[in-house]
Amino acid sequence: MTNLLAYIPFVDPIHALQDWWYLLLIPLAFGIAVIYKALRSPQFEHYWQNVLVMTGQIVAAMIALAVVLIVAIQVLIPLIPVN
Amino acid sequence: MSPSVKSDSRFTPFAALLAWIWPGLGHLRLGQRRRGMLIMFGVLFLFLGGVLIGGVDVVDRRHDPLWFVAQALCGPIAFGTDLANQRLLSDPQVRLQRKSLSHINEFGTLFVALAGLMNLVVILDALHRPAPRRNTDRRARAEP
Repeated sequence: MTNLLAYIPFVDPIHALQDWWYLLLIPLAFGIAVIYKALRSPQFEHYWQNVLVMTGQIVAAMIALAVVLIVAIQVLIPLIPVN
Repeated sequence: MSPSVKSDSRFTPFAALLAWIWPGLGHLRLGQRRRGMLIMFGVLFLFLGGVLIGGVDVVDRRHDPLWFVAQALCGPIAFGTDLANQRLLSDPQVRLQRKSLSHINEFGTLFVALAGLMNLVVILDALHRPAPRRNTDRRARAEP
């Protein structure tokens, strides 16, 4: 017999995110930008603005990389002759 | 004047040790309160975010030793989470139900590992960052 356990935050995984895993790139990029800008900014006047810009840059770069890989795998590689 | 005062950066191993013990503590020790608090927020955001997404299973010294090398750079919280993992998921039936799978496990593990790697950069920065001087902020503001 299987016992069903109640969901406990930080112990159980959030399985609902399984289909939306790619959106997790946004908080990941945000966390990296928060730390990087905290280290590199001499002043903190436009700190959060810089963090948001860097987050956008990381996400845009990842999307661009994904597009390049999709084009290479779906279009360019099938064009290579087999023999 | 001593050489340590002349040079731009000082060697501060105690601050680096504090930065490993708790993220951001090294910069707080160096008198950089805001920087330290932002670092603390950033590293804990990634660490707790990873554990929230993938559960306690994402920090696992036994089954993911290479990932744990990066995660251990977060400090004692990574070892504490691993200990919680070993205790909470020791029962095979409980482990089966609470184990994270596929993308959730990958992203949770990546969040915590990146928190550790970013904290390594923080530790190295705390090791060589100069303590703030009184006139630094005024001089910086005066510059265009």
